[in-house]
Amino acid sequence: MNKRTLEGHTFKAISYLAAAITLLALIGILGRITLEALPSLSLYFIITPESKVPGLGGGIANAIAGTLLLSLLSTALATPLAVGTAIYLKRYAKPGTLVRTFGFLLDVLAGTPSIVLGIFGLLFLVYYLKFVTGGFSLIAGTIALTILILPVIERAAEGAIDTVPAELEEASYALGATKWGTVRRITLPFALTGILTGMVLGIGRAAEESAVVILTAGYTQFLPEFKVLPREGFLFGMKIYPFQDLAAALPITVYRSFEFPHLIPASNGFAAAFVLIVVVMLINAATRMLLWRSRIG
Amino acid sequence: MGPNYFRSKTPHLLLLTCVLTTAAITLFFIAFIFKTALPVFESEGIGFITGTKWSYSEQVYGIRIFIIGTLVMTGVTLFLAVPVSVFTAIFLSEFAPVRVAKIMRPMVELLVGIPSVVYGIFGLFVLENIFQDKIDPFLSGTLGFIPFFHDPSPNSGSGVLLASTILAVMILPTIIALSEDAMRAVPFEYREASFALGATHWETIRKVVLPTASGGILAATVLGMMRAMGETMAIVMLLGNCAHIPSSVLDTGYAMTSKILNDIGYYCAMDEPRSALFGIAAVLFAMEIIFVAVARKIGGRL
Repeated sequence: MNKRTLEGHTFKAISYLAAAITLLALIGILGRITLEALPSLSLYFIITPESKVPGLGGGIANAIAGTLLLSLLSTALATPLAVGTAIYLKRYAKPGTLVRTFGFLLDVLAGTPSIVLGIFGLLFLVYYLKFVTGGFSLIAGTIALTILILPVIERAAEGAIDTVPAELEEASYALGATKWGTVRRITLPFALTGILTGMVLGIGRAAEESAVVILTAGYTQFLPEFKVLPREGFLFGMKIYPFQDLAAALPITVYRSFEFPHLIPASNGFAAAFVLIVVVMLINAATRMLLWRSRIG
Repeated sequence: MGPNYFRSKTPHLLLLTCVLTTAAITLFFIAFIFKTALPVFESEGIGFITGTKWSYSEQVYGIRIFIIGTLVMTGVTLFLAVPVSVFTAIFLSEFAPVRVAKIMRPMVELLVGIPSVVYGIFGLFVLENIFQDKIDPFLSGTLGFIPFFHDPSPNSGSGVLLASTILAVMILPTIIALSEDAMRAVPFEYREASFALGATHWETIRKVVLPTASGGILAATVLGMMRAMGETMAIVMLLGNCAHIPSSVLDTGYAMTSKILNDIGYYCAMDEPRSALFGIAAVLFAMEIIFVAVARKIGGRL
């Protein structure tokens, strides 16, 4: 074997080794989390809010409900803004310095360390706007998460619009359609799959975020309630549940097993982590199924 | 101006409103961070970045320890993550059979879906013991004569190496996915031309594929680095939170993000300490903006 073949074989082996390390890390982490979660994982643990269990830990229904509310609401808020921005940048604005500056701004927002967004939310949404948001609350958390996932969805929407074949739009214009008519009837339907994927990414990103949520939504052991109570110092003189009330989230439940190591068993944290990963994966799988069916039917 | 005029003008205005709202939110957010941080920059000057003393009671705020903590941790992270992820990307784009790559790619993406706080407790409850009992004693035993590998705290596994190991796993998928994209984007004719000249597969990878894809790989590395620098939760749990400059990779440290998270809850209502904590965020943010500009320059979108 000459030197060149030997070198080739060596580096091929290194590549295989690197891939094996990556896979081992993945399997090791997921496997170990599942193992550590097993002692706490039960149906009771999942459907009981922490408030119904004596002491700390013991149930995560409050956190599951909070995570669903936070991620769905913030995605619902962010999507129209993100898609509108993407359409405008891709189809209405004239390419130039302004569009490029805007792209840079969105990149900066996308790369923002979550703690920076978190303390912005804490000071601006929780302290300064307390009479509107109610302090640490679902609405403060939702707004902060909206800013976090706005660039994620915008980027996916831009990518989706890029895949629309120019011939289709040109044909639409040739038939006398207006710009908006073309965007609505041709561009958006064609880009829908990509936009939906972006929304799923957004939901996932919001569901797994911890630093932003702990600084804006706080934490509660109780399930969200739907009611309105009079409250002085708040906008309109009342407190609207659950929006102006504290919200729990699964990542925070996980974090609490680190904060209170002697009060909450570690397996509680791992079980919450396990449920969180499963929820994110289920959302992913469900969307893929949906998209797959819509494409066939 | 018939009715048609308005029908096509209204959507335009609505879309423009979306763009302006997005821009307003982003600019307000950036301005808010820097404006809240301004008082500490005015009172401390350059000493805010170069100073090593941080004391609320003496009203001295210097963040050199935290900056160096973050940089050391990020450096070790990249040292661990870049070789593994670039070679994994080479495997996926050059060596792996199509079927294997098809299965492995979504699995790597799965790593992105694991929340950082989960990485944190995994590192804390699982890896920390392994580091304390096996890896730290082994490293300081065999390489301890080099100060870089000396273990100043034998009774604890947390420290730079533990935090960096977890961070490296966290940023693996980012670097792998983007580097692989860059390598796949290299036109197949380039490879064929190289093969035709008699180069081996590896020679083609090293002399044709990697140089052509280097911009993308570098951008991927910058993005991974930004993710490591901005990470908070896992670092709070794993780096040890000791306010000193780490003397070795096994020593504890304190990162900028952890300092903000640990203290902001107590000092958010007080003007001066709050401004100082926002100052850390502003410095971190400024570093991030520079890296975004670099990443865009060398041709990668986030």
